[in-house]
Amino acid sequence: MSLLEIKHVSKIYGELKALDDVSLTVEKGEWIAIMGPSGSGKSTMMNIIGCMDKPTSGQVLLDGMDISRESGKKLTEIRRDKIGLIFQQFHMVSYLTAVENVMVSQYYHSMPDESEALEALDRVGLKQRARHLPSQLSGGEQQRVCVARALINHPELILADEPTGNLDEANENIVLDLFRQLHREGTTLIVVTHDPEVGEAAQRMIVLEHGRVAKEVVNESFQA
Amino acid sequence: MSKRRMFLKMITASLLRRKSRMLTALLSVAVGATILAGLVTVYVDVPRQMAASFRSYGANMLLMPGENTVLNQQSVDAALSLISEEKLQGASPYRYVYTEFMGNQTGEGKYSSQLRFMTAGTSFENVQKTSPYFAVEGRYPEAQREALVGKNAASTIGAKLGGSVRIAYDRTELVEIEETQTELQGSAPGYYDAEVSVTVILNSDGTIKTVAMDLSRQTPFRVAGMTTSSFTDTYGIAHAESFTDQFTGKQLPLTLSTSENDPDEYIDAVSGATASSKAVVDAVNAALPVGTQTDTQQITNTERAAMSFTVSGILETGGEEEDYIYISLRDMEAITNEKDRFDVVELSVAGSSEELNALANEISENTGLECRLVKRVTKSEASVLGKLQALVFLVTLVVLVLTMISVSTTMTAVVSERRKEIGLRKALGASDNSIRAEFLGEGLFLGLLGGAIGALLGYVFALVVSRQVFGSDLQFNFALVPATIIVSMLVSALSCLIPVKRAVAIDPALVLKGE
Repeated sequence: MSLLEIKHVSKIYGELKALDDVSLTVEKGEWIAIMGPSGSGKSTMMNIIGCMDKPTSGQVLLDGMDISRESGKKLTEIRRDKIGLIFQQFHMVSYLTAVENVMVSQYYHSMPDESEALEALDRVGLKQRARHLPSQLSGGEQQRVCVARALINHPELILADEPTGNLDEANENIVLDLFRQLHREGTTLIVVTHDPEVGEAAQRMIVLEHGRVAKEVVNESFQA
Repeated sequence: MSKRRMFLKMITASLLRRKSRMLTALLSVAVGATILAGLVTVYVDVPRQMAASFRSYGANMLLMPGENTVLNQQSVDAALSLISEEKLQGASPYRYVYTEFMGNQTGEGKYSSQLRFMTAGTSFENVQKTSPYFAVEGRYPEAQREALVGKNAASTIGAKLGGSVRIAYDRTELVEIEETQTELQGSAPGYYDAEVSVTVILNSDGTIKTVAMDLSRQTPFRVAGMTTSSFTDTYGIAHAESFTDQFTGKQLPLTLSTSENDPDEYIDAVSGATASSKAVVDAVNAALPVGTQTDTQQITNTERAAMSFTVSGILETGGEEEDYIYISLRDMEAITNEKDRFDVVELSVAGSSEELNALANEISENTGLECRLVKRVTKSEASVLGKLQALVFLVTLVVLVLTMISVSTTMTAVVSERRKEIGLRKALGASDNSIRAEFLGEGLFLGLLGGAIGALLGYVFALVVSRQVFGSDLQFNFALVPATIIVSMLVSALSCLIPVKRAVAIDPALVLKGE
């Protein structure tokens, strides 16, 4: 069974067709990139996959569950249990330390566990910075904390929204390396980006234009 | 780490690490709590404070002799022992007597004028406590034979400060006099020779006290000499008061009057019953002693005592006290020659009107004295107190509402400031209830902290108010600390309802848009 099945999904805002009959299947362990210029429907796609919006028509199955029809409360539960989110602007709780930010995710999911949270920070190379507040961390460090936070509950799917959009090249590489590592460990990754370099790091690129899948490129040179 | 610890950690971190925001919110809660605690402290303490202030309007409780209990030092002490020391602000005994003011001496025992005045004997030291409103020109009497003269009384009698007034008092004494009376009995033939008998009681001075007559043998027709219809009584003249009353006070022997010109000492006959009338007079004259009887009579003896007083002060009150002359109890005892006797004791007692009522009843029941409240004072006190408390209550309510608005505004600002964070939390899987719990938790924590600060500052605030307004300190009310904290927490939680509603409505998707 595929992890994610998007079947003939449309999202219409008044006159605007943000998504127009889009179909897409993502297998477990796959790393795909969703690309396209702004207004192409990337964000809408991301919202729907991230259980934060519902399509106007069509069906979305995540790990066998129909997330296009569930109630808001149920969607919150599915998002909490299945998805790890990474954002362009990191979004850390400003008054909590790095490790506490990771623990917030544990708190909503199940139980806060500091040692596990520290382990996750160690994985992204930030164990030494665990007690720092976001304001004391660089952008790259913040994004690494967010990666750790996204991983902490062992989600089925990591959904990243322009994860390197606010990072310099060095930090971009660090984050991409982390993604590669996650991919090797079997984590499913969906990265929404307009950065070709980030897109090309994925196994497969889905290019959206005007709400439709314009093309799908399989990265032949992809190395696991 | 447990979920609860993480929850507390997040809340405290949110407040402690975001100092400026927290301080704003905390300030509004603390200020609200301060005013609240202060006002409630004042509210609670006002009756006590006011009671003390009201004491300056005079006594609010009176002790008077009971039906079977005289008002003297012993019964007053018994009554005062029932009042707790801290509540009793003063007690003034009064003895009131009518006296005559004697004007300038114009000759031996002669005075230019004589006017009746009420003179009161009292303890001036106590009067100053129970009647602090007494305005005295000069000073209260201190030495013997000094008097405080009411303003009206002074102007009537022309008394001057430092001058002298002479007061006369008629000491009255009830004297019991025993009198031996002589009983005489006699008889005489009356109409148609039917016998008339009499019993005469003679006073010791020989005057007749009473004459009882038996005319049973004289028929009504014969006795009255008229028709029975106009003389319904069987024994006509014996019951005709105009006839029988004539005897009292007259000396034996008696003479029956036969003409209208006879002197007053004569006994007038009942017209138409002259024979019977004559028979009665004859019988009285012929009566012989049969025995004696003793009668006790009470006679009032009056003896006038006069004393001169130096006017040490003129009293101005605007009330009836201005008509009186006040002297010391000791002088009063001297002039009346009566010791240990009061007519009324004025008490000044602190307490609510319910407490005072209960106390008055207790005193009345336990001492046999009559203990009454001065309604004029206690009623107005209760009324002013009620109004003041209503005012404080109202202000407290307004402050609570203002605090709520302030906290609510701050929390709303906090929510919009933290839209991203709330969106993030929701994106990370926070349920609506988690968001509610976190914000209410922050509100309650603010309430706790602000309430604790407010409880302490409120006491300081109340102390300042108390000192400024009532000129007295107040006790720290420990019960008010948890009460203030709980109210602050409630107010904060209530204030958070609208902001929390907004927080819950935030769309998690906003964190995804790369704005």
